[in-house]
Amino acid sequence: MGDIAYKKEELMVIEASKHINDGEIVFTGIGLPVVAVTLAQKTHAPNVTVVVESGVVGPQLKLAPLSIADSKIMRRAARLGSLREVLACILQRGMVDVGFIGGAQIDQYANLNSTVIGDYYKPKVRFPGSGGANPIASHAKRLLIITPHQKRRFVKKCDYITSPGYIDGPYGRKNAGLRMWNPSITVITDLCVMDIDSASGKLQLAKLMPDVTIEQVVENTSFELIIPPKVDVVDLPTETELNLIRKEIDPEGIYFSNKQN
Amino acid sequence: MNSKIMTASEAVERFIFDGASVGFSGQNVVGAPMAITHEIIRQKKKNLTLLGCNLSLPADILIGAGLVRKCEWGTCNIGYRGIPSMGYSARKYYQEGKLEIEDYEHLGMVSRFLAGEMGLPFMPVMSSLGSDILKYKAPSTEKKFEIIENPWNPGEKVLLMPAATPDVAIVHVQRADEMGDAIMEGFTATIPELVRASKKVIVSCEEIISSEETRNYPEMTTIPYIYVDAVVEQPWGSHPTATYRYYDCDVEHLRMYQECAEAALKEGKSGMQKYQDYLQEYVLSCDTFNDYLEKIGGVKKLMELKQRMREVI
Repeated sequence: MGDIAYKKEELMVIEASKHINDGEIVFTGIGLPVVAVTLAQKTHAPNVTVVVESGVVGPQLKLAPLSIADSKIMRRAARLGSLREVLACILQRGMVDVGFIGGAQIDQYANLNSTVIGDYYKPKVRFPGSGGANPIASHAKRLLIITPHQKRRFVKKCDYITSPGYIDGPYGRKNAGLRMWNPSITVITDLCVMDIDSASGKLQLAKLMPDVTIEQVVENTSFELIIPPKVDVVDLPTETELNLIRKEIDPEGIYFSNKQN
Repeated sequence: MNSKIMTASEAVERFIFDGASVGFSGQNVVGAPMAITHEIIRQKKKNLTLLGCNLSLPADILIGAGLVRKCEWGTCNIGYRGIPSMGYSARKYYQEGKLEIEDYEHLGMVSRFLAGEMGLPFMPVMSSLGSDILKYKAPSTEKKFEIIENPWNPGEKVLLMPAATPDVAIVHVQRADEMGDAIMEGFTATIPELVRASKKVIVSCEEIISSEETRNYPEMTTIPYIYVDAVVEQPWGSHPTATYRYYDCDVEHLRMYQECAEAALKEGKSGMQKYQDYLQEYVLSCDTFNDYLEKIGGVKKLMELKQRMREVI
């Protein structure tokens, strides 16, 4: 088993799929998260309901969508409604179990930035902004973040908090007025899996990817990551999981060959 | 009742004015009202304020044409199949200090339209809290939000977002009748709230159908005529974005557009010329959107996009 060749992104997606339980409502964005949800549906969680911000509720995914407004994600849905129906009537009222988000920067409290690098008014780089990410981060019971592990991405403090993690401490969300004040947050990178240390509201190392050392993780993180005494290793992918991804979910190799935005 | 059918040129001339606030349909690569957007560029309506959740391509091309003063948006995201997500004109103009952006998020923004459509001054929203969306505002915005205490649950914070009531909404739908009853297929994104919140509404559609037909099945109507001021028939009117059940988005054209906009950002004078050449070739030198459709590949290309849509639904 251990000698099956796999791509880092494939294992990230497989790990993410294990954080989705059967019967849950999952709010997906674009790219790798969709592969993770589809994999969960095809393995341990056949009764997962997908919702997408443009108004799609419960589609039967034929091909994994590449954009949140892709026509493919409308296929055989239970409802093609409005953005408000999904963001307010499902997400804000607290029905979403798992939400996927991402950003150009993530900081020690798992806050995400998808708005600007540098000064807000005179930025080095302007990004698209929140979209649905802020509402997902505000209201989903659990958050999953799949991201490459780079030093410039894992910063001590985001230049701009687009989507709140724990903001500035264990009660940061409560103080800000967010009703979902203690969500579980899991960050899955090519080096490791992180989650939230409840005492500090900061990210801590949970698992290492196979063949990765704690030193490598620390080296590629700009803030002081909490390292618990015992750190597990992520399971290697099984042949079944890889076959599902390669033959059924992404036979064209779109998600794993091109750079996703 | 009088027919509201008119050309894109007449609709823009009558309802869009310099300094107008304009809301747009469209989510990423689906449903953007490109025919009307091109006409605004030809008529050089300027100092516009654009409002929407994902303003995507209409915002980016209007910004690139130098016609936009400010955007109030959730995002400007064109990303699809490896096409860079951020509109490069928006990025360029903002980074160069030539564009104001008032950043909201999608739930906050659609709640603003919801307040507008119900004749209310503001709407409670429970997102944005704790984020920098509340920390920063655009220079010309006077008051972006308020936080109050829930009168029925002391200690609970409630965010209030101001109503948005654009001067004009521009939306592209599948079908509409001569009076303006409009039928949408597929997801509606922000169109219902946006349309009802706006003072004037331009509907462009793939097909005009008779009100005899719409009146037989009124429950199918997404937008009744009372909100609508102009009906413009323009097949393929959201190209290069998709129209559900009619045609898929044109990935090749979207990529070419983003390449031109990226050049303008990164390659100085020659890059800016490349972008101007795009505008000249595909918008300014066209009398109508039909001329543009010829230039992007004509019937052959359009039938390919129709076929691609058939394969995905």
